[in-house]
Amino acid sequence: MARNWVLDVPTDDAYRIGRILFDVQHDRAEEARFFADPAAYLASADISEGARKALAETDIGALYLLGANPYLLRAYCLQLRVPEAKYLAALRAVEGQAHG
Amino acid sequence: MAEIAGVFAVSHTPIMSNMPDAPGVSRRDAAFAQFERVGAEIDSLAPDAVLLISNDHLHNFYLDNLPAFCIGIASSYISPVEGWLKVPKQTLPGDPLLGAHLLREVIEAGFDPALSMELVLDHGTLTPLDRAGIAGRHPLVPILVNAVQPPMPTMQRSVALGGALRAAIQSYKGADRVVVLATGGLSHDVGTPRMGQLNAEFDRQFLRHLEAGGLDVAAQYARAHVNSAGNGAEEVRNWLVAQGIAAGAPFETYFYEGMAEWYTGIALGRWRLP
Repeated sequence: MARNWVLDVPTDDAYRIGRILFDVQHDRAEEARFFADPAAYLASADISEGARKALAETDIGALYLLGANPYLLRAYCLQLRVPEAKYLAALRAVEGQAHG
Repeated sequence: MAEIAGVFAVSHTPIMSNMPDAPGVSRRDAAFAQFERVGAEIDSLAPDAVLLISNDHLHNFYLDNLPAFCIGIASSYISPVEGWLKVPKQTLPGDPLLGAHLLREVIEAGFDPALSMELVLDHGTLTPLDRAGIAGRHPLVPILVNAVQPPMPTMQRSVALGGALRAAIQSYKGADRVVVLATGGLSHDVGTPRMGQLNAEFDRQFLRHLEAGGLDVAAQYARAHVNSAGNGAEEVRNWLVAQGIAAGAPFETYFYEGMAEWYTGIALGRWRLP
């Protein structure tokens, strides 16, 4: 059955990933710090290794499966200038895992 | 005591402002004409204030503190919060006294909304007002429903809040006429594997249930089927709040078309109040 969400309630990973996506979208200082050196930004972030790897590799499917809010994930990928076709392909590759 | 002079609902999407021509000129104009119709009808009712039922798209709120419902009680609201939205940044007037009254009254009625005096409203508020040609024309009380991050208030709870808001508006002595504009949905997905797909059957059936009147069936239908209509369709909660404010009066659909180029099922209409 189709479902709108990966998680019914956010997990710690979902929260911490989303915090980064939210801050990079809304806080100009955080945005500048992130884009100045994404690897350094993520290396110092208080997140799980799985979340760090997914963010470092912009593994959109993994971020989705970890429960990143789709509104924030979409905005983040637009900031990173990920083409829509690539974004959708990454999500559709994990759709079965995400929604059964 | 204030009269509920009109209750309207319209879809919203940032894409109709950023890529208006995507559906082609004739379909664009047909949709925009209906937004302008709603704007003209609201103006003709000469409201003292507009209660705007919408949702924040994770700009004002995040998981540090995420209200199920939030009532704005500020004297003004800057909008849009999104720098990328192709609508000029502006300051919309608020109605803090009406907002405060509604807040107090719905709390007395058993609801527990958050309040905010610092909302920077996003496209979910501004684009319908802009397209309707009424942005900034009437003082607003924004009511934001969590429709973007589970767990969310139930569809039925949204109708019930509308019922409490109805009584609260009608007990307000500071205005003569209040108009309600709900905005959101219908079917669409944002950021999910289904993004770009619509569910016209969901949209049409939801509208049919509203058109039939009553307080329960549209909410029951939405609860049962929203997962087939996309995460953006969770915004039908905003419509259901308005349905509660309209006390289940029959809805008249002015327009419906699945506008895949705008990524959204676009509907507009008005509850036919007795």
